[in-house]
Amino acid sequence: MELSVKQRGEIISTFRYVQVNLMETLAAWVPTTPEMEVKLLFGEHIWDVAQHADALGKRTYELRLPLQHSLRPSDVSIGLLERLAQAHQTGQRIAGFYDVVLPLQEAQFRRYLDRTDSLMDAPTVRILDRILEDEARMIRGSQELRWRLPDVRPCDGEWLAEVAELGRGIEEFFLRKSEKAMAEVG
Amino acid sequence: MSALSSNDTMVVRGVPMRRDSAREACFTVVHDATEMRLSNDSSELSRRELLHRDVNNETQSLEISAQSLVDFPDAPWELRLHLARQCWDEARHARLFYRRFVEMGGFKGEFPIANHEWSVVCMLDSLPARFAIQNRTFEAGSLDALRKGIDTFRVIGDERMADIMETVLADEILHVRFANSWIKRMVQEDPRAALKIAAAMAYLRRVNAALSPQPGEVDIEGRDYGSVDHSVRTNTQDRAYADFTDDEIGELRRNENWEPSAAATADREQ
Repeated sequence: MELSVKQRGEIISTFRYVQVNLMETLAAWVPTTPEMEVKLLFGEHIWDVAQHADALGKRTYELRLPLQHSLRPSDVSIGLLERLAQAHQTGQRIAGFYDVVLPLQEAQFRRYLDRTDSLMDAPTVRILDRILEDEARMIRGSQELRWRLPDVRPCDGEWLAEVAELGRGIEEFFLRKSEKAMAEVG
Repeated sequence: MSALSSNDTMVVRGVPMRRDSAREACFTVVHDATEMRLSNDSSELSRRELLHRDVNNETQSLEISAQSLVDFPDAPWELRLHLARQCWDEARHARLFYRRFVEMGGFKGEFPIANHEWSVVCMLDSLPARFAIQNRTFEAGSLDALRKGIDTFRVIGDERMADIMETVLADEILHVRFANSWIKRMVQEDPRAALKIAAAMAYLRRVNAALSPQPGEVDIEGRDYGSVDHSVRTNTQDRAYADFTDDEIGELRRNENWEPSAAATADREQ
């Protein structure tokens, strides 16, 4: 079943919430991460994520919602974002962000692209395609950094497994149950 | 923003300042100009020291913009977007300077560093105050210092360094212009913002008075700070691009030896 304008608006607003949250997480990590190269990588990616939030926020306005509208995602999604934000070690931060959350987000975007009509919802498709491209670049950047600086690689496996497990529990499109039910009903 | 706790602050020469942001163990972080190296010639060592300092200055600017995104989540989205862009710009500047520094044989931690800008700006609890000090004072001061640096490096034949500085200068104009525009808007919307700015300027003067090297004080290698000319000419054209008014520029030119902060001037001087 295809997505209605209302459903699309709710999903895009939820995607935007996640992007703004990730921007704030990266921003909070910049002054508290000792390694200069990692700080600079996070600094660059703050701008990428902010642009994604901005593009999604402009799209919400086109979908009969306020400009730059955000919708709080499910509690499970919030749990994951909070767990990520609490990461203290550099290795945890890098692995949690680039190896868990960005791939998880990619999966959600691809699911959306599978569900939506690429002609009716073409502007959203363009936005998500661009975000996917950017995120692939961001992940490559983190991989190159870890290859160059092996000291920033170590990450507590137990912590990472816990974060990945939280990610597996996330509902479709990060949505809360009420919004998800609406999306299913159409 | 939430109030700072005693764990967030430190006292330097009697003045409360924000505790340093995180640095790797290879860096020696100092709080006093007497613990820094005074680079006042065009020797390779001095040029490396300046680059090392530039890398840290740009890193601090990144940290300040990022911290403002964290501290002011309810700021208008358009403004937050500017701060996010500034994060990227400052990260690129740090990389540009660092690349050149490594080309010249430098290594991280080769010289002592100070985080004065971070420690001053992140004490301030409002965006107008932070913009007034970070963008409109420190970064606007760097428009002057960068222009001087570009000219100096072209004269000594270091075109690569001059090109890097010219690139950085173009970006810094945007950051100063953005702050000028938002300060005007914020003061119009809430006149109390002007009081916040005045208080921030008073705090900066206090920091400046406490941290400026005094006559007879020397750097880590025994060079007298008093023997160095710290004056920087006002970069009229780029300040105009950054939306300083003719009156503001005229005022700066009348006080040509004006220093935004002794610490910041020393940090940014080329």
